[in-house]
Amino acid sequence: MVQEYSSILDWIVFNDPMKNPYYPFVDTYNLPFDIGYKLWEILGGAIAWLINLIFPGNPVSTWLVCDATSTLMGLLIFMLLIFIIAFVSTLIVLWMERKCLGRMMDRRGTMVGMKGFLQCVADGLKTFMKENTAPKKVDKMTYWWCVSLIVGLSVLVLCMVPLSQRWFVVDYQTGLLIIMAFFALAPFLILVSGWAQNNKYSLIGGMRAAELMISYEVPMLILIATTALLAGSFNIGDIVNAQNETVWYIIPQIIGAITFFFCATAEAERVPFDIAEAEAELVEGWQTEYAGMKWGLIMLGDYMRGSVSCSMFAILYLGGWTLPFIGNGPIPEIVFLLKSYLVFFFMILIRCALARVRTDQILNIGWKVFMPLSVINLAIVLLLKVGGVF
Amino acid sequence: MMTDSIVPVKEMEDRMDTDKMWVIMGPQHPFSHGLWTLKVQLDGEIVTDAEPIVGYLHRGWEKETENRTYPKIIPMADRLCYAASMTYTHLYCMTVEKALGIDIPEKAKYIRIVADEVCRIQSHLMWLAAVGTDLGNLTVFLWCMREREFFLDLNVKLCGARMTTNYPRIGGVRNDTTELFDRDIIRAVDRFEKAMWDIIALIDDSSIFVSRMKDISFLTREQCANMGLTGPAMRGCGVDFDIRRDDPYDNYDQVDFEVPVLTKGDSYSRYMIRIEEMFQSCDIIRQAVKKIQALGKNAPYRIKTPSKVPAGTAFTRLEDPRGESLMYLVSDGTDKPYRLKVRSPIFTNVSTSKAMCLGCRIADVPAILAQIDMCLGETDR
Amino acid sequence: MAMKYLDKYPKNLAKSLWVLKPCWAVMKLFAKTVTHRSMTILYPYEKEWIPDNYRGRPGLRFDKCVGCGMCVRMCPTACIKLIEVPDDEGKPVMRPQVNLGRCAMCGYCAEYCPLDAMTVTPDYELAEYTRYDLLYGPRRLNYEGTTPGMEVKLEVTLPSDIENGNPERRVSFFDLDRPELTDSKCIGCKKCAKVCPVNAIEMVEKGVNDKGKPILRPVIDNSKCICCSNCVLDCPKDALQIKEVL
Repeated sequence: MVQEYSSILDWIVFNDPMKNPYYPFVDTYNLPFDIGYKLWEILGGAIAWLINLIFPGNPVSTWLVCDATSTLMGLLIFMLLIFIIAFVSTLIVLWMERKCLGRMMDRRGTMVGMKGFLQCVADGLKTFMKENTAPKKVDKMTYWWCVSLIVGLSVLVLCMVPLSQRWFVVDYQTGLLIIMAFFALAPFLILVSGWAQNNKYSLIGGMRAAELMISYEVPMLILIATTALLAGSFNIGDIVNAQNETVWYIIPQIIGAITFFFCATAEAERVPFDIAEAEAELVEGWQTEYAGMKWGLIMLGDYMRGSVSCSMFAILYLGGWTLPFIGNGPIPEIVFLLKSYLVFFFMILIRCALARVRTDQILNIGWKVFMPLSVINLAIVLLLKVGGVF
Repeated sequence: MMTDSIVPVKEMEDRMDTDKMWVIMGPQHPFSHGLWTLKVQLDGEIVTDAEPIVGYLHRGWEKETENRTYPKIIPMADRLCYAASMTYTHLYCMTVEKALGIDIPEKAKYIRIVADEVCRIQSHLMWLAAVGTDLGNLTVFLWCMREREFFLDLNVKLCGARMTTNYPRIGGVRNDTTELFDRDIIRAVDRFEKAMWDIIALIDDSSIFVSRMKDISFLTREQCANMGLTGPAMRGCGVDFDIRRDDPYDNYDQVDFEVPVLTKGDSYSRYMIRIEEMFQSCDIIRQAVKKIQALGKNAPYRIKTPSKVPAGTAFTRLEDPRGESLMYLVSDGTDKPYRLKVRSPIFTNVSTSKAMCLGCRIADVPAILAQIDMCLGETDR
Repeated sequence: MAMKYLDKYPKNLAKSLWVLKPCWAVMKLFAKTVTHRSMTILYPYEKEWIPDNYRGRPGLRFDKCVGCGMCVRMCPTACIKLIEVPDDEGKPVMRPQVNLGRCAMCGYCAEYCPLDAMTVTPDYELAEYTRYDLLYGPRRLNYEGTTPGMEVKLEVTLPSDIENGNPERRVSFFDLDRPELTDSKCIGCKKCAKVCPVNAIEMVEKGVNDKGKPILRPVIDNSKCICCSNCVLDCPKDALQIKEVL
């Protein structure tokens, strides 16, 4: 391709990323990649133009704007964008929890800047300032790796949740299952880190996390399978589209939705099911020996997992990013986030109104209440499916 | 003792041979409201042994009083228990009055009743707040603290201080009720009774709260008697005894109130007793305020007492919000006590913690021990 | 009387829908606090209303004080000390200094001040950078805007008055008790006259002893005396005793 480069506009041409032979998303349009690609067009194009001004006709400039480089750089910016949006939405969840919890308790919540939003920033800075201590007798390797993996997995799962048809990382056929699999990995690591810390409180906390995981994973997977059965696919986009075409699945599966809500609360280890870090009897449970930013990241990871469970609820039962009669609106991402915040609001309400349940009670509820309820839900869905309603 | 626990400990021990673990819920543990330690032996999650350790807050209170003149001990008595300061000051003043052999004016008696009951409500609210946090709910804590604030405001209105009130005096009270105090207290009590139902709805209508407290940690009447458990916790175990009714002091026989007693003896019934006591306190306050109004503005509220107490001993007891507190004064005829002994209810109540916790799960330990309402100021003295 | 709470509870929880009622209670408060303001007081910007008789730090009205030292004696934490300061005309006088690092805010100094020179003040924000700054000298103790409500009166009823059927008479604690002299013990050392802060004691000659020297005996002016018992404490022979009127 021989081209004359005379002005900057020859370098910044805004090609259609989908026509790029290296386009990574096969044939679906991806908004964040589009934004990243165009940002690189501007940035790389300007750099290439500048270099070309000094050394006319050099190969670096053409390399900077070639298809492959643009895709690579576009992907980098795409990752950053996905992470930032996910991170900010987590911070909003955190802020919302603090504010709503405050109002429900007849106090004001955080007050630092932007209606208290900047308190998250202040807390982050504060935990960074703290000394990074580790007890002498911990199992070093597991101690450090567990916290990294818990946080890393939480970020990974959060980034994998699609915000809309055009805002996703990978469009898996089994997207839902993979998200749930990663989501369920963290309790294993909690168990391991409970052992690694060489502390009685952590040990009990880790054991409790394992109990929790075993008893809540099963009904949750049954519920997900039920929804997949109803939609006929494990693909998140298909599930949402199926709900858009028929009706939100909260209506046929109201039992399932309530059960899923509580299971998701347990998975995210929030009050009433936060027995793994039960403050009153176990200090901080499995987080006891984590100090400074390690603890801060764990807390952030907790909220990330909380917002993932809310997103899952919105996808499975509230029609994802679609609205009834409208379908995909102009900005489905906002619709989706608002729906997940609504679910999170109920989680806050539950946290505010209820107390922590005991270990034996949690197992009782898991196996004797939620498990039968999810099976009943499955039976209802099967009847509906067989009866030809869906 | 074993038969009362929910899990038959002995049987389990026979069945499997597992290592037991001592977990120290120590002075810096979030469960301990104050500086004390509970060592619990765990078999998995089940408590097989418990041992309370107190004494971290020992200040030599009883010895210190021997170097002070009688009026100077009143502010010290405030510091015995920060949550119910008025009752200890009241108890001390009653003891000295008994040693002096004087009778204080009617109005002072009723004002002391009002102050005591305000103190009881406020102390019970603080206990309820602690129960909420021990069970993992912060809302109860903040709602109770909000209600408590109105009673602290009443204290300010009455004597100018919120917690360490320094209000009763030997021979009466520090000052007369201030202007509009009777109006304010009736308003506060009315408001409290309404607001209390919201907190009750949060706890008693929630199956999680109730199931955490119901049917655990049974105590029998005999155990109460053997271990010296007193106060609302004892009445929750079926012992029908309240010093305010059975050995009335300071015109408690002139007011009409019920003593709630429940016979079941579990953690939940101990909780319910205190809630009902708050409502009864409201009734007592209403009646006492009416009596104060009937006595008129100019009625005496403080009589002059000699500064020296005649040689001899005096002994009084009083129904503290936490149990039966007692003071024993030995005087040698000077203006300083020879010996002043305090019996704090919590010091004996905490010794029941082993019997209460045995066979429960570790998650229940804070919830159970919240029912004896720890206050370390008086325990360690 | 009936039980208010035990009559209604414990309830059958299946009827109250397990967890819905607490959620509803929380939701109600949420709706209220979103539309109205919540109960919190934004402390540094807003402050609670406090009455006049609020027991903050002690305040001193320099001109009213006579330096009797009653506050020093009554202070349970021994945080008050009498120090010598110049008064308005430059003469050295004894006035109390309060160490607020030790003060327990019990209000005894204000209560037992015979002249109500010591008051309680509603000033409770007392944080300082050093401990030395917590020493409040007599001039610094002065509180602008002292109202009569901040004085703590020590008014008592006499048991004898109650017996006499006159219970409504209240007298100030310091108008009653007066020091009484045991004549045989007195050596006429004039110490009581020197320590009396209000100059109520006058040494009067009462004849001559067998060596020909004049016998000096204190005569107490009951209208001036404030019953501070300084003379009693300083008497080397315990000749003066407070006579308590009951």
